[in-house]
Amino acid sequence: MNNVGQSKLNIAVMYVFLSLLSLIAVFPLIWIILSSFKTSGEMANHPLAMLPKQFTFEYYSRVLHNLHFTTNIKNSLIVSLSATLVTIVVSALAAYGIVRFFPKAGKKMTKLLITTYMFPPILLAVPYSIIIIKIGLVNTWTGLVITYLSFSIPYAIWMLIGFFQTVPLEIEEAAHVDGAGKIRVFLQIVLPTVSPGVVATAIYTFINTWNEFLFALLLINTSEKMPISVALYSLTGSEILDWGEMMAASVIVIVPSIIFFMLIQKKIAGGLSDGSVK
Amino acid sequence: MRTISSKSKTLNTTGILFILPAVLIVILLLIYPILSSMYVSFTSKHLIRPRYSWVWFDNFKFVLTNADFYIAFLNSIKWTIYSIAGQLVTGFLAALALNRIPKYSGFFRTLLIIPWAFPAIVIAFSWKWILNDVYGFLPNSLTQLGLTHLNINFLADPAFVFGTAVFINVWFGAPLFMVNILSALKTIPSDQYEAAVMDGATSLQSFWFITVRHIRGVIGLLLVLRTIWIFNNFDLLYLLTGGGPSDLTTTLPIFAYKTGWGMKQLGIASAITVILLLFLLGICLLYFRLLNKWEREDR
Repeated sequence: MNNVGQSKLNIAVMYVFLSLLSLIAVFPLIWIILSSFKTSGEMANHPLAMLPKQFTFEYYSRVLHNLHFTTNIKNSLIVSLSATLVTIVVSALAAYGIVRFFPKAGKKMTKLLITTYMFPPILLAVPYSIIIIKIGLVNTWTGLVITYLSFSIPYAIWMLIGFFQTVPLEIEEAAHVDGAGKIRVFLQIVLPTVSPGVVATAIYTFINTWNEFLFALLLINTSEKMPISVALYSLTGSEILDWGEMMAASVIVIVPSIIFFMLIQKKIAGGLSDGSVK
Repeated sequence: MRTISSKSKTLNTTGILFILPAVLIVILLLIYPILSSMYVSFTSKHLIRPRYSWVWFDNFKFVLTNADFYIAFLNSIKWTIYSIAGQLVTGFLAALALNRIPKYSGFFRTLLIIPWAFPAIVIAFSWKWILNDVYGFLPNSLTQLGLTHLNINFLADPAFVFGTAVFINVWFGAPLFMVNILSALKTIPSDQYEAAVMDGATSLQSFWFITVRHIRGVIGLLLVLRTIWIFNNFDLLYLLTGGGPSDLTTTLPIFAYKTGWGMKQLGIASAITVILLLFLLGICLLYFRLLNKWEREDR
């Protein structure tokens, strides 16, 4: 009886703990959303008020129209979607190749992939800014997409290896017996089986490229070409910070990230425990 | 005999074709730049001036005799250790709780992973706004509650800035630990716990010998990956503090950035990043040795 009472108490403590933690986790998101609708007077005079007294959409319209953030959003979409597309094609081929044709060497290769994760972006930044200038791709989206592949491809291959390992060999062998070629087996049988994993990897790649900051800061130098993360940073350049604009712009950037994240949250879990790295 | 060998040959050609694009990209985008970076670290390369010369170990000498380098190095180590410890403990506790509660664990999990989706620039904006010493929610709340007389400027006050940055990094990184530890916890067969109870094990014993034992591989790997990531991280800390006040939060990547792009000394900046990479390689070798030892024990 005592034991039951104690475990009930334990559970209650856990709920309290999780509620507090959730509050801290979510608070910044809620706070920037609420702040983005408050008038500047309200932000200055009532820093503790939760809900805006009068909703204003002024910051959103200023950010989207006067500051031309729509252009930056478009730029980010072009860059992130291109990087994601190239990443998925190259990584899906590579991950399948490793799992099916080089399973032994594959273990070493995955360790090698983790090693590339060790290369500091700032270390790559020096040669990239030299090379990108040399081949004339400075201030272009192509140049930016190329540099994004450096971190997106190793990670995507690593994620995809885990998904491809779940495809039983028997399915493929049956198809081979029916006379299907290797490429056809890959495209028509293997790929559809792991499509949820491929989609999850694509979304994860998209979020990471959408959020990237350093390379975009170094390689893009005109505001018409800037992706959204750097455009947001440029808001801090003025003498007096307009917090309302900064909050509205932040909400615009983060909402797609969070929605996508919610969609794949089950898939990004457990990549490490599935044994794809061992 | 002939058929088998020719079959395995075609198998490998197809296999090579599958991985070839990725191999080429890794060589062009990772191996070649690293080598080129090492080359630059031995030259007097300047960001704008086109002429430069081979200077042997001058850059390394300059860096290794520079007090600022050691300050940044120490900051990096502190930043990494505190952040990793905070993320591991928070993520682990949250995962254990989520694994235990009978209801709403999906709901809490969804809320708890939200920080993970934040881009660095939005992390910086939202926390700078919450912590703003004039309009910010937190400093004003503390003053209102009578805990402080004047609003604290968390990101500019030397007494608070490091701790605040670490807290924000824990806020951002704990979900990754939580999600991965939680899915590892789910793979532990429950009959092991039942057997342990039958054998009279205390809950602390079964926690240590079953739970920790089962998931230490996952935790080890998480520690490797996150150590690398946090040690290398530039944007989060740079956008939060810019390395200040007075270099209190200047880590090695920020130091390299300031040298390479602020002072335009790409050669010296390369030397800093090469030292950074060598240090990380050493740390990773140690980690991998430990992980291999655990793997052998588990077998």
